[in-house]
Amino acid sequence: MGCSLASSLVDLKKELKRNHNPDFLFIEPSEMVVTQELRDVTAMGLRDIHYDIGPFITLVDGPLFDFLWSERRTLLLGQVKDADLVAVSRADAIEAGELIKVRQALDRYCSNLITLSVRSGDGLAEVVKRVCGEA
Amino acid sequence: MRVVSVSGAWGSGKTSLICELTARLHTIGNSAAVIVNEQGDAVYDQTFIQAHELQVRTIRGG
Repeated sequence: MGCSLASSLVDLKKELKRNHNPDFLFIEPSEMVVTQELRDVTAMGLRDIHYDIGPFITLVDGPLFDFLWSERRTLLLGQVKDADLVAVSRADAIEAGELIKVRQALDRYCSNLITLSVRSGDGLAEVVKRVCGEA
Repeated sequence: MRVVSVSGAWGSGKTSLICELTARLHTIGNSAAVIVNEQGDAVYDQTFIQAHELQVRTIRGG
């Protein structure tokens, strides 16, 4: 994430805080941003305004895992390693055997790995708990 | 204000998850905003935005 982009993100955070002060501000970055970059940029702005930070959630697309693991492993691990919660998303669209394979591949890189399906509701309660700071 | 980030590959369900979370938070009286990169997984629906009083901002290239 470049300097101008980071600066734009900080400006937007300030604008939202000062004009609306939402209870929660969700950041949905581009798919190429790694978590540590995001952590650094998220902390920028604390000099001017107060806000709480986290959790940093990384979604690992279950059905796309083979492609991500073979072609984009560096990026994938950059998003997984520094995350507070890693969720294998669209988990309802893959077989149980595939899910075990994903878990085995990622387990050593993250301590908080869950399965998630917004469609079926699997894992949502855990995410809500994390977001609300209850976990 | 709590800043929460949802990362992942294109199509991994970031927007769907954020919509689900904001809807659930809204039902318990919490307000939310989103800063989304311009290539977001899906466009945030205007009806949804209005129904949940969601503030949405787009960041170019982010």
